Amino acid sequence: MSDNTFMGVPREKIPWAPTIDYARCDFCMECDKFCPHQVYQRQEGDVKLVVSNPANCVVFCRACAKTCGPDALSFPNKPEIIEVIKRLREEGGDG
Amino acid sequence: MAERFAVLPCNGLDKAVGPLAREIALAVVEACEGELVCPVLFNNLPARYAKALELPLIVIDGCGTRCASKLAAEHALKVVRKLQVAEALKEMGESAGETLTPDPERLALCQRLAERLLSAPEEGTTRDREAAFTEPVEYATVTRDKFIFRIPRQGYLFNENHCWVRVAGGRARVGLSDYMQQELGDLTYCELPQVGAEIGQFDAVGSVESVKAVSDIISPVSGPVVAVNPAVAETPEIINQDPYVRGWVAELELRDLESDRALLLDGEAYLTLVRQKAADYRP
Repeated sequence: MSDNTFMGVPREKIPWAPTIDYARCDFCMECDKFCPHQVYQRQEGDVKLVVSNPANCVVFCRACAKTCGPDALSFPNKPEIIEVIKRLREEGGDG
Repeated sequence: MAERFAVLPCNGLDKAVGPLAREIALAVVEACEGELVCPVLFNNLPARYAKALELPLIVIDGCGTRCASKLAAEHALKVVRKLQVAEALKEMGESAGETLTPDPERLALCQRLAERLLSAPEEGTTRDREAAFTEPVEYATVTRDKFIFRIPRQGYLFNENHCWVRVAGGRARVGLSDYMQQELGDLTYCELPQVGAEIGQFDAVGSVESVKAVSDIISPVSGPVVAVNPAVAETPEIINQDPYVRGWVAELELRDLESDRALLLDGEAYLTLVRQKAADYRP
């Protein structure tokens, strides 16, 4: 069994991760301070924060969004992700 | 085989809820191979239904006038389950609509309400359900250094977000697994959901905060919240002490357990998952 799976599906195949709306983000870094999974990474330059490890994000967790004052974080549509997982599970059924 | 029932529905055909009561009654009778009692004929000729009324009786009222319930009371019938359509729709955030002919969407609601009636515990069994939810649990354990993670062997289902669900009488309690509460450490705060909130599978049904982190409680099942556990809001440590019984967070009315179940783990599968997690567990 792969090291990093969620519901039997390789984690990197599940497109669940935050998206930063840079029009709103003020780089306060609250989300990065909050997230214990190193999903975010700070960097030099104009764009001081990126989602560098999307596969580290806990599927269905949106807790960091609550720390975001300017409401710059969004997540994928949950029912769609459930469908993706169901489909991948069916495809991987023989494995 | 499912238990059979006699069903006495509202016969109010001049309001939108009446035809819905009829549809629910038909669905119940069909599903349990029960007996339908026409309120008009029963009123004129009770003997006609003497045989049918040997079965436990479900009464379905359309509106607040509760004609069917009153009729049952006049004839001293013992009612084991009842439903008032207008009220039930309101609870679900739905309406009876404008037309006397139910549309497909409302027919689907009727089907759901019929299923709920058939799976609902009989009146006066709230205590039985409470007993089912608090029955002692037999645990399997995973040990890693000085940490011991308990996993109920039976009666619980889990999602991979380390939340559990325990089902009794058409309802489900949800909470955090022992693994998750130990990973978080001493809890300092537990946010409960609103009673009445519609929760989808994998929606947050509250959150917990510990000295180390904040975490959403991801619901393994879908349905409206019908109760919350005020004890854990007041004393979150209860979740640390007894995560599977006294530490329940919310109680949901089940919408579609069969469909939810496809994405859940039983105790044994969750035990395997915790074994893997424990292998690289660093508190």
